[in-house]
Amino acid sequence: MRQGDAIVVDAMTTSRQRRRRYMTWSLVLLLALTLVLPLIPYAVEYAQVNDSSLVPNPGADLWRDVRQRDNPVMGQTQVRGVDTGVLIYKSGEDWRIFRMQWLAPYGAIFMGTVLGLTILFYLVRGRVPIPGGRSGKKILRFNLNQRMVHWFTVGIFLLLALTGFILLYGRFVLIPLLGPEGFSITASACKEAHNLFGPLFLFAMLLLIITFVKDNFYERGDLSWMITGGGLLGEDTDAGRFNAAQKAWFWIATVFGLALCITGLILDFAVIGQSREIMAISHVIHGTSAVVMTGVLFGHIYWATAGMEGGMESMTTGYVDANWAEAHHNRWYEEVKNEGEIEKPSEKPGPGSASAIGVASPHPGD
Amino acid sequence: MFEILVDGILWDIALVVFFGGIAWRIVAVFRHGMPRDLAEPRGSGIGGAIMTNIRRFYPRHEIAPKIRLHVIAGYMFHVGLFILLFFAAPHVIFIEEHITGFGWTPMPYWAFVVVSQIAFAGLILLWLHRVLHPVTRLISRTDDHIASILVFVVMLTGCMALLESFTGLRVLHRFTVELLMIYFPFSALMHAIMFVPSRGFTGALFNRRGVKV
Repeated sequence: MRQGDAIVVDAMTTSRQRRRRYMTWSLVLLLALTLVLPLIPYAVEYAQVNDSSLVPNPGADLWRDVRQRDNPVMGQTQVRGVDTGVLIYKSGEDWRIFRMQWLAPYGAIFMGTVLGLTILFYLVRGRVPIPGGRSGKKILRFNLNQRMVHWFTVGIFLLLALTGFILLYGRFVLIPLLGPEGFSITASACKEAHNLFGPLFLFAMLLLIITFVKDNFYERGDLSWMITGGGLLGEDTDAGRFNAAQKAWFWIATVFGLALCITGLILDFAVIGQSREIMAISHVIHGTSAVVMTGVLFGHIYWATAGMEGGMESMTTGYVDANWAEAHHNRWYEEVKNEGEIEKPSEKPGPGSASAIGVASPHPGD
Repeated sequence: MFEILVDGILWDIALVVFFGGIAWRIVAVFRHGMPRDLAEPRGSGIGGAIMTNIRRFYPRHEIAPKIRLHVIAGYMFHVGLFILLFFAAPHVIFIEEHITGFGWTPMPYWAFVVVSQIAFAGLILLWLHRVLHPVTRLISRTDDHIASILVFVVMLTGCMALLESFTGLRVLHRFTVELLMIYFPFSALMHAIMFVPSRGFTGALFNRRGVKV
């Protein structure tokens, strides 16, 4: 074979091989496209399903209607009652946010701050002693009925506060300790006790107001007492049977206590036609009042116990030392002194004395 | 385990101690007897016993104003507790299923709420009076305070279990009831039964001597 013929044969062979390769790859590509192309619609659909921003939830319109966010029209139902036509109460979410994000944390911060400041004040100031020490002479400050009303209210309030705060803070404090099931039992027990004792608190509050309101109106000198902090920020000022701080506590307890009672009754007895909106508002007032009253109560307890010598015994025995009365309630002390109702040490009522058994006591109820 | 104990053997023990203890106390009191009265009686002993039992349900007018609170709170608690014990729906069911085999119409829920609050208020006021009044404080023994607190705890656990959703709360209430039943015969709580012979004895003695009861 000549050299020229050999070159032609090689060229033909190369051209055939290339054609065959093209055909092979074309067939592979065709086969691949045949397999893949039908899958493209599925892939597109899959991508759209996983991108919720592109395709709306087919149930969204239904649930929007159910929640009545845009169209607050009551539905129809056979059940007769307040709000029975509303499937999902949209303002309930506002209430939930208030309870979980406002009441619980800020309530804890408020009560914790008051408690912390009280402890700090005690560490700085210490216990206020009776000026001049104890004289041994006793003055009846609270008779038996007054003390019973006071402790009756205290007992009911403490039980309600304990059960109420377990309901509010239990999920944060008790679930880690008792577990979910243990907390649910505790919460159920507390709810029943809270609901049952609630109306008793109204009874106690009314007794308390009737018993103590007479001596808790504003008197001349109360403002200056408040400005000087009862002598803490300046010269000690005079006070009657109750000083300005005690009067303030009485009115705080009265206002917030009655608010607690009224809203508590609305929440407790859901049979008087109150709507869920009224219930939610009542709970907001109820929770806020409880937090405020408990916070201020810390101060009241402090001054009655650790803060001042001789204060607590007025609510346990009913009697205070004459020097205590003269130092902290000088106007009242003068009144009692003028009426001759200061008992000398030997006249301190023993168990068998007339005043103790209430036979000849000049004080009604003692 | 605790539930089995409370619903089983402890309940049986409590029943035996309760009824056995009461019987033993009553027999012990009557076995003391009394010295023979040789004087000619000026009145009927039985009449005096009955009259005094009735008469002591209301205070003498000389002391009534001084013990008004005590009397009112006493009736609030005792009558309230009696109604709760025998007419609260869960109690009626329990009595029917475990004791008598028959029941009666229980009071409605609203009545339960009202009565329980009256009973609680009465009990708390009575205990406060015991603690705050110098005389009652002096004559009160530890037993009296334990009895008051135990009754309060029994009532409280009962109210906590009112929803009847959790077995644990029911068992807790029944456990405190069993403690009360075991404590009852050996404590001041026996006055719930002994007030009748006690008043009767005093009334019979006085009436035989011609003292107005």
